Amino acid sequence: MTSRPIALTMGDPAGIGGEVALKAWRARKTSDNPFFIIADPDALGAEARALGLDVPLKQIERPADALAVFTDALPVLAEPLAKPPAPGRPETANAPAVINAIRRAVALAKAGEAAAVVTNPIHKKVLADAGFPHPGHTEFLGELTGVKTPVMMLACPGLRVVPVTVHLPLAKAVAQLSEDAIFHAALVTAQALSRDFAVANPRLAVAALNPHAGDGGLLGSEDDAIIAPAIVRLKAAAVNAFGPAPADSLFHARARETYDAVICMYHDQALIPLKTVNFDDGVDVTLGLPIVRTSPDHGTAFEIAGRGIARESSLLAALAMAADIAANRARTT
Amino acid sequence: MSAKPRIGLLLGDPNGIGPELAAKLLAQPGVSDQAFVVVIGDARVFDQGCKVARVDIPHRRVARAVDLRFAGAIEFLNEPSIAPEEVTPGQATAAGGRSVFVAIKTALRLAKDGLIDGFCFAPMNKKALALGGSPFADEHQLFAHELGFTGPYCEHNVLGDLWTVRVSSHIPLKDAAAHVTEDRILEMTRLANTTLKRAGIARPRIAVAALNPHGGDGGLFGREEIDIIAPAVRKAQGEQLSVEGPFPADTIFVKAAEGAYDAVVTMYHDQGQIAMKLMGFSKGVTVSGGLPVAIATPASGTAFDIVGKGIARADGMRAAFDLTCRMARA
Repeated sequence: MTSRPIALTMGDPAGIGGEVALKAWRARKTSDNPFFIIADPDALGAEARALGLDVPLKQIERPADALAVFTDALPVLAEPLAKPPAPGRPETANAPAVINAIRRAVALAKAGEAAAVVTNPIHKKVLADAGFPHPGHTEFLGELTGVKTPVMMLACPGLRVVPVTVHLPLAKAVAQLSEDAIFHAALVTAQALSRDFAVANPRLAVAALNPHAGDGGLLGSEDDAIIAPAIVRLKAAAVNAFGPAPADSLFHARARETYDAVICMYHDQALIPLKTVNFDDGVDVTLGLPIVRTSPDHGTAFEIAGRGIARESSLLAALAMAADIAANRARTT
Repeated sequence: MSAKPRIGLLLGDPNGIGPELAAKLLAQPGVSDQAFVVVIGDARVFDQGCKVARVDIPHRRVARAVDLRFAGAIEFLNEPSIAPEEVTPGQATAAGGRSVFVAIKTALRLAKDGLIDGFCFAPMNKKALALGGSPFADEHQLFAHELGFTGPYCEHNVLGDLWTVRVSSHIPLKDAAAHVTEDRILEMTRLANTTLKRAGIARPRIAVAALNPHGGDGGLFGREEIDIIAPAVRKAQGEQLSVEGPFPADTIFVKAAEGAYDAVVTMYHDQGQIAMKLMGFSKGVTVSGGLPVAIATPASGTAFDIVGKGIARADGMRAAFDLTCRMARA
């Protein structure tokens, strides 16, 4: 355990971020790494009352204060919203505060005041309408930390997946796939598995793109032309990688014992198995950053916001994983 | 049709685990009770399968289809199709494929002549089947051709009570988006509806998967959901089918497996197969949906690495047999 708290961002205040944060604090254990949330204290207090969640809030001035506060109250670093949020109804005017919470969390982690950044879900369209140029957290975090191509990993107990292409239409994802991108994602993953996850000699499975791994070229050329050469390069770089492996037989229980992570070629190739293996406790981790960053893998869930039925299990898993990574990094550096 | 269907059982590739699975299936209780079973194949291959499985299957052996009685014990239509010295366990060969090809053609002839109501085949190898003389890319095309069937048909994948069909199948993924058309989605939705009804589900509840991540997220990550899939779903609803969608692909299989839907119409091969094989690698069944004859096979393959060891699991074979009987009875 580190002696620094984890910074949690508000996410879209019309979503379930506040609710799961309140519930996560309520579920705290003494062994947990304390966290604080960067949010509007008034809005969060109103949300706690509306949901009937008996969670005392305590405003803090700097992250270190969270350590003493955490046992008795959820520490809040104030980031005021332009308008009081309405559950399920995103407000473009609040987008600057949502973005600023991320900016501040990253700055605090870079300065060493926060052990890690855990982000609550944002809504891409709402932020895009407000002029936010990034498709998601990962790209924004890359910009804030000066990392050109951070790598997104999703993890749940029993499975870690890394999509090489992410938020693109399927046809575009296929067209954009490159040997370099696969090599980069796999290399960063291998390094992160040993540094952040304490896996001694990480084994990577590289999924094929086409059905039956292209069946010798009959069902697509990319597996032989792009993926196989990337694996050759990985092996030359002393990465323990195998593939391209037919994706449909790569994720059943026995197959999962043969690797520590799977490099996937497109979003759903990674997310279908992840959600099927474990629907509730998935965590999104950004690899290759100088700071530690995780997030729950669910979205803003506007459709259930304000109803009190959101589950905090994914956020709890994200907080626990952030603490583990921070501790592993502290040990190795 | 008699209450008890007449079902053919094929041994699959003699070089794979098929003969062992067929023997293990027939040794299970409740198999010959629900159907008149006629094994179609080379008796020497079957005897070897029984030896590997360490079971003894009492049966009545005949050489000609006219001698089949479809009464009482298990019957065996013996058609020598591979010489014992040509059996090379663990290898995909022309001889193995020819043996499968011969048995399939016999089964389809019996079906056409109305002697059997359906058949179930143990795992075979697509490559061997091609080497063995089948001019078709897969067995479903071979079935349709031999049956002279020209309507829509498609491989259905089944796991327990969950079915999937595919809008596109064995094509490069880069071409999958171009295959997502309103007509094709409608055709596959109707086909799923028909096949599931035939399997005894009165009003199949069908979900249609999205193509793009997060279902396109309102058009941010692709427009096929808005422009093509949603209109197709509305049309299918207009035909009084119980269908909903498009749903983001990462969560629809879990919801369906929990019982919310009977079938998922998937947009490409791996979309459905990743989830189905993950949820039950050794229990899946492949159904040749749309054809006038009930045909099913276990989803798992010839397992060349464990041939002859006697350790192959027959769950999928049993599920395929039960499903064949269910469809043949309807």
